Amino acid sequence: MTDWPSAFEAELLRLGVQPARARRLADDTSQQAAETATAPGEVFGPAHLYARHLVAELSAPVAASPRTKFEAGPVLLSLTGVSKRYRRQTVFTGVDLTVRGGEVAAIVGANGCGKSTLLRICAGLTRPSGGTVKRTRRVGFVPQDGGTAGWLTAEEHFTLFGAAAGMVPGRAQSTGVHLATRLAWRPAAQRVQHMSGGTRQKLNLVLGELHAPDLLLLDEPYQGFDQGTYVDFWQQVFAWRDAGRAVVVVTHLLHDLQNVDHVLDLGER
Amino acid sequence: MTPRPWLHGFLDLCLLAMLRERPDYGYGLSQRLASAGVADVPGGTLYPALLRLEEQGLATPSWAPSEAGPRRKYYAITDAGRELLDGQADDWRRFRDGVDSLLSASEVPHD
Repeated sequence: MTDWPSAFEAELLRLGVQPARARRLADDTSQQAAETATAPGEVFGPAHLYARHLVAELSAPVAASPRTKFEAGPVLLSLTGVSKRYRRQTVFTGVDLTVRGGEVAAIVGANGCGKSTLLRICAGLTRPSGGTVKRTRRVGFVPQDGGTAGWLTAEEHFTLFGAAAGMVPGRAQSTGVHLATRLAWRPAAQRVQHMSGGTRQKLNLVLGELHAPDLLLLDEPYQGFDQGTYVDFWQQVFAWRDAGRAVVVVTHLLHDLQNVDHVLDLGER
Repeated sequence: MTPRPWLHGFLDLCLLAMLRERPDYGYGLSQRLASAGVADVPGGTLYPALLRLEEQGLATPSWAPSEAGPRRKYYAITDAGRELLDGQADDWRRFRDGVDSLLSASEVPHD
């Protein structure tokens, strides 16, 4: 059993806080507890939960008024009257969706209503039965189960996927490791087949973003992430948006939808 | 005492206002908030807010010994903090007056 400050510092590191900063925050926090002559656990609760809370609080602007809408950029994805049929079975019809740079769109709806199919249509991997799709050239696609190879490591994937986007191996690897850190993940020399489901999803997410796409298409990438990382995921989505990218997320989870710009409900049509 | 969600939006404003009056440390600030009748702010809410003010350059810390017990981290407001406080004080008054006018318009006269 480790003491509270060590557990707190370890969790900060796991969340991607730089070591020197983590040490300083841990010292500060112990000192603050000492001011009230109370044990840190009594003031702040469990160390790992307070670490997550603190990281989230520190990244928020002071006295954030409700988010001022970012100036919407150019249209990066546009669907008009899109439909999909399999033989005589209609999956959906008349789907319209416009997503600009600096916007997040969520695709929601019950299982089997065609959310993943629609995302593949957005990516250009599946042909719609009707309607038109226009998209920007640089697209990142993160499917539910990625096109990863079980016998390769994370770094080998960075090299491989980087090469497909014209990146030299060194740059692809350093970019991959950097992006992984933002998801509180330090890639080890571990083959994909030995990774946990959550880590595999993080790998998928990094691979989708490796070539700095303008439009990111994400299919439930946080399934299997632990609770803390789920929060990190949405922070990541909003960071992409604030950087002017367009993000489309297929999701079952509805409680974050007040922060997105468009909600496309395939179930209610 | 103030419902928690209300406090969340105005805690930074209250902290900056207290620091403009005089530099103070965490526990002292929480007592001033309580005695002003604003809120009993738990440490887990107060300290992240102070650190955030520090990191965003709105308050600057300095360590000072205490008469008994461990040294304390005192915060003083910066120029950037004063500037933000002025703007937010205006926002707050507009908001408060707006809520007041809605409340009084809906009140049924008693006599």
